[in-house]
Amino acid sequence: MRNIGITKFLIIIFISNVLESFIAPYLITFHVSVPITFLIFSYAIFKSNQRLNPLFAFLCGLYVDLISGSPFGLNAGLFTIMCYAINSYANTFKLFSYIQICIFFGISTVFYIGFKNLIMNLENFSYLLLFTSLLANVLLFLLISMLRYYFPSVYLRYDQ
Amino acid sequence: MSRVAPTFGSKLLYFFFVCISGLFLYFDLNFKSFEGVKSFYQSTIISSKYLFKKVTLEPLSFFYETTKSKSDLINQNKKLKLELDKSYISNFIISRDSKFFADDESIKSFLDLNSFEKVFHLAKLQYFDTEMYMCCSKHRAFIQTFQTNKNLVGSPVINNNGIIGQVIYADSLIEVLLLTDIDHVLPIVSGNHFCNARGSGKPEIVICKYNNKLWQQKVLIGQEFFSSGMGGIYPKGILIGKVVEIREVDENFNEFDIKLVSSPMSSNLFGVLESL
Repeated sequence: MRNIGITKFLIIIFISNVLESFIAPYLITFHVSVPITFLIFSYAIFKSNQRLNPLFAFLCGLYVDLISGSPFGLNAGLFTIMCYAINSYANTFKLFSYIQICIFFGISTVFYIGFKNLIMNLENFSYLLLFTSLLANVLLFLLISMLRYYFPSVYLRYDQ
Repeated sequence: MSRVAPTFGSKLLYFFFVCISGLFLYFDLNFKSFEGVKSFYQSTIISSKYLFKKVTLEPLSFFYETTKSKSDLINQNKKLKLELDKSYISNFIISRDSKFFADDESIKSFLDLNSFEKVFHLAKLQYFDTEMYMCCSKHRAFIQTFQTNKNLVGSPVINNNGIIGQVIYADSLIEVLLLTDIDHVLPIVSGNHFCNARGSGKPEIVICKYNNKLWQQKVLIGQEFFSSGMGGIYPKGILIGKVVEIREVDENFNEFDIKLVSSPMSSNLFGVLESL
């Protein structure tokens, strides 16, 4: 994710959006939402070596709006805000432990889900969904971050 | 290398893009301003999917359907063959219903009286030792009915040519004692000549031994013999076979060989008749 090209990144975003649309109907029965597209975008910014242009985040958001059928500007705005947050705390993250980073991303995800539901799904806005999503996402991130201890070879080339 | 935190200028830029996003959102939600773009994108995606399906999936599914329809045809052919064989056995019974039953009324009352749903149960040959059949005296066939839980011991077994034997043991497999087994005795008749035909242990041959003082009527080569129904197992009047050889055993006794009209090897489908 560090030096990934724009085209590859857009393809990954597209695939993750398709994946999300497949998984979401199953997860929603457990009152859980995992916004994979948003998470991949956040992870890409988090792992990036350089400070990303807000225009990039804005256009990425518009692209996601287009492919996901969301109202134009929703993801664009949220992606821009997320980009700003990550860039602002980029150096602070280095002092954070994995658990703190996971909690940060979990809370960001819940904000994203909350805003999205406020705009697109106000009639069915559910705090239960937000709460269970927070728990599920934090646990998921912890699990993913722990994978490097169980499968160190996967991360070897990045740690050099 | 550390990343530079957003400067005042870039913060303004972020704020600007967030405002733009808000405007986009406002216009989209209130005025549906971007419906054209969305519709264009959706139609492009649908067209691409259609084209992709047309170019890749449809040829594959066509190929699969072709092979599937071929196997369907083979299965259908087998099913039709089974139905045809079944109809042969049914036809055998229908063509001789005056022998099995006096008339249609009798058939109906017989079936009603015994709560029979059908006249015979279709069965398939499971095991038949042809070597034993050709060489030795023990002639047995093992068959399996398609759908019945009834106890069929004692029931006559027929194929599309005629009677081939009777059930002597019925479990998951049905053991059939063939007419040619040396333990089998079949009462037969031709005109006024009654006789008990014993299995010869040879294929398709049963032997009848009679007292020529008692039955003075001459037996001729080619004479047809029918089941007499005297044993209580087989229906009366079914053609069993024709005389092929006559021998004099001693002064009082003669015997003759009857070549059976039915062979257990002519078909692998049988009908097990309902017994009383």
